[in-house]
Amino acid sequence: MQSFASLTISDLWIERAERDLCKGLSFSVQSGDVVRILGENGAGKSSLLKVIVGALSPEEGRIAYSGEDVTLDRSILQQDALYIGHSVGVKQRLSVAENIRWYCPDVCTNVLHEALKSLELIDYMDTPVKKLSAGQTRRVALARLWLSQKTLWLLDEPFASLDVKGVELLEERIQQHALAGGMVILTSHQNLLSLASRDVMLLP
Amino acid sequence: MTYSSFLKAEFLVLWRRKQDVFNALLFFIIVVVLFPIGVNSSPEFLAPAAAGIIWCATVLAVLMALESTFKEDHRDGSLEQLVVSGLSLPLLIVLKIIAQWLVVMLPLLITMPLLAEMLYLPSSGFWALIGTLLVGSPSLFFIGVIGGALTVSIKQGAMLVMLLILPFYLPVIIFSTLAVKAAQAGLPYSGFLAMLLAMSLLSLVISPFMTAIAVKASVNA
Repeated sequence: MQSFASLTISDLWIERAERDLCKGLSFSVQSGDVVRILGENGAGKSSLLKVIVGALSPEEGRIAYSGEDVTLDRSILQQDALYIGHSVGVKQRLSVAENIRWYCPDVCTNVLHEALKSLELIDYMDTPVKKLSAGQTRRVALARLWLSQKTLWLLDEPFASLDVKGVELLEERIQQHALAGGMVILTSHQNLLSLASRDVMLLP
Repeated sequence: MTYSSFLKAEFLVLWRRKQDVFNALLFFIIVVVLFPIGVNSSPEFLAPAAAGIIWCATVLAVLMALESTFKEDHRDGSLEQLVVSGLSLPLLIVLKIIAQWLVVMLPLLITMPLLAEMLYLPSSGFWALIGTLLVGSPSLFFIGVIGGALTVSIKQGAMLVMLLILPFYLPVIIFSTLAVKAAQAGLPYSGFLAMLLAMSLLSLVISPFMTAIAVKASVNA
């Protein structure tokens, strides 16, 4: 993880299906920040995360990561970013452990076991993901947060499908990451007063 | 994610999707077996037609296998993870095609001696057929995967893939059957193999980039 990193969004304009989702959006995130993106359904919260990580292209605007302009080529940002979208990117035919090894191949077995214990997935380690519930599948995706060393986390509705304990675990992990100098941008309708250091409101 | 972890996961997923691979193989065998029964079972008819029958069946089996290349990845969001992984998407696509080629083509090649014997293909033609399949079939995968990526978000995309891709398969089928016919007639066929190799190499260069564009467009759709 980088000791100090920053993300600067300037005059961003996102258009989806001939509809302006945000125009002239500017904000910055620095090490230790947890930024919550707020807005009504369809306001463009998920699209904003996708634009930042490079799955979507903006109409206009500039994105800089740690001082470097990454608007046209997001590869530097992508190598240091962990994105979990609405579809969590967990392969249904692989087991829990295989899915984690697919994403974090260098993780050692002890660390993997510890993370799975924390997420109460240790008993399902060799179970194919297609046999797990929606909440457990999301936990498999969220295990990356325990195992990856990436600085910037982009989380789209990370608390969806999680039970109370899962929400507490995730909040705790996000706080740990921010304290360690990481950056988190998330969309959530959850009340995160104790967690988010700043809110960014997307207006229709 | 690394290239090797991606490749390992691809093989694991393909292994667990063996029903799909088995379906393609079964389809291939059925087409080849039904042809002599339905048309003409005499050696005079089958020996010259064998290469064409086997290649047409191969093309259809490959198309059947390729239609679902990205569908599952698109559904579970892992395709999006590939796009934002920071790894080269064209290179990931090449690795995916290599895995698919090995899993789909190897069983087909293994059944080939038996099917060639059944179609009265002489040994000179058999080795030419194996040669054309080895150097020509990669182009089927590299071309076909573009169609798979373009139709990833369409539920019943198999027919569309077939219509989009089949015309590009014609040169491969023509040169392959010509190579086998030349071998059966005792003529040199290395020129045809060189043409097939050139097609495979050209598709190797172009297809991953075109597929990457199609994948990105599908993820954004």
